[in-house]
Amino acid sequence: MSVKTTDYSLLINNLMLFYENALAINNISLKIEEGKITGVFGANSAGKSSLMHTISGIILDMAKKEKMKGGERITWFGEMLFKGEDIINLPPHKRARLGIVLCPERRQIFSESSVLENLMIGSYLANSSQTKETLDFVFELFPELVKLKNREAGFLSGGEQQMLATGRALMAQPKLLLLDEPLLGLAPSVEQRLSRAIQDINKHTGITIIISEQYARPLFPIIDYGYLLENGGVVMEGTSKELMDNPDVIGAYFGI
Amino acid sequence: MDLIIYGLINSVSLVLSSIGFALAYGVSRVPNFAHGSLYVLTGYMTWLFLNQYKMPYIFAILLSLAIAGLVGSILYRYILIRVRGMPISEIIASFGIGMAILEMLRWAGLRGGTYMLPPFIRGSIDVAAVPVDYQRIIILIAGAAVVGFLWVFTHYTKTGLSLRGIAQNERAALTLGIDSDKAATVALGFGSALAGLAGVLMFPLGNITVQSGYEVLIFAIAVSVCGGLGSWGGAILASFLIGFAQIITVTYIASHYHFVVALLTIVIILILKPSGLFGRQKELEERV
Repeated sequence: MSVKTTDYSLLINNLMLFYENALAINNISLKIEEGKITGVFGANSAGKSSLMHTISGIILDMAKKEKMKGGERITWFGEMLFKGEDIINLPPHKRARLGIVLCPERRQIFSESSVLENLMIGSYLANSSQTKETLDFVFELFPELVKLKNREAGFLSGGEQQMLATGRALMAQPKLLLLDEPLLGLAPSVEQRLSRAIQDINKHTGITIIISEQYARPLFPIIDYGYLLENGGVVMEGTSKELMDNPDVIGAYFGI
Repeated sequence: MDLIIYGLINSVSLVLSSIGFALAYGVSRVPNFAHGSLYVLTGYMTWLFLNQYKMPYIFAILLSLAIAGLVGSILYRYILIRVRGMPISEIIASFGIGMAILEMLRWAGLRGGTYMLPPFIRGSIDVAAVPVDYQRIIILIAGAAVVGFLWVFTHYTKTGLSLRGIAQNERAALTLGIDSDKAATVALGFGSALAGLAGVLMFPLGNITVQSGYEVLIFAIAVSVCGGLGSWGGAILASFLIGFAQIITVTYIASHYHFVVALLTIVIILILKPSGLFGRQKELEERV
């Protein structure tokens, strides 16, 4: 292939992932452009989460734990270039150091710590001026969190928890932010609120963002490029306009 | 009055001897059953440095604590890390190593009588007409200092906060750039040094014996189970509960029952509230 690797934030070539003998990701190649929002859509078992785990490196941790327990064998092949560097076998905390930060599915906030502590734990990789700056940005983005600062995070509502999880990921100073199903289980008004916030993050900071979601409708307006996954493979890709104009997509992902 | 003062002292000694275990478990979810052996090992090493090598007391203590921390970290880094996530194996591995250390000390000649650490300051003082020796006062102060230090450490320092992150949700912490193995190594080392600190503070009150290693482990387990595994606040509260219960039993029934109290607490708590006083189920996490 003759693409210049530096034009892209992330390049995935021919990625395959197996859980034991079950194929979870089937020969996926993605090109994630620097500073853009890319959507990855698909139903349950399409391979979205597996893909997000492979990009964030969580899959290495899963594989390690499974191996220790003598459980499922997780194997993967392919190439994953982040700013030109192959990271396919890099553990997740080292990827975070490079700037790949995951905001995990179902939020996974630190429920016994306060909202502010969650954000401070998130700032592990940031220096003190970055911490202060990002904290201000997060509170500006989600003013709701300001008055909940000292509340135990486990007592927050679903929408607030998602805002917190997103803010926490921002505190880690991402260059590539992965949002795994950020709209899961949210009311339509909160959905809109969050997708606007995601757009704001991208506009103000220029962070490259990958979002995975089942239901594409609230996200189509904000994404630059999208991939549709089915059974672990990419079945369609295009700009948000191309996808929106496609009758198959409308049938499958808009529920019309 | 003695009841209150000695109950307080006994409770604080329990805090000191169990907080290391609770800390390490809270962060790494590895129950360090070698805890008691590190308690004795540190006492023995301090004795060795003090008497064989004629080191100044304070230096002997600091060196022993450093070694205890190192032993704890190595224990995790090279042994427990391999059985991580399999609770039974973790217990067997760490308990086996703990036993090996203790029985090795016994073999090396550590038997009661000859092995004693001098108190930091000799003499005693009357507190509300009850004579209390200075060593016990030092234990009180040290206990408060350790708890205060841990609180500040886990709330205001980056390392401390990252340890709490790992304790609550390892994967989320990983994606924020926190190395969970490094954090657990730090926690185990820290917990072991705290076990050692309890040792050097408490051995001046009696003899250094192999037996006390097993006892301290049982106390640490009793306190952690009662307080809720992994909950430091719970561990402190449970220390006071068990500490006072022990002193009351010793005063009104018989002194050899203090051990029974600790074991009985485990049984009662497991019947009434298996998650411990402050233990939590993780159901809130998945609220949508």
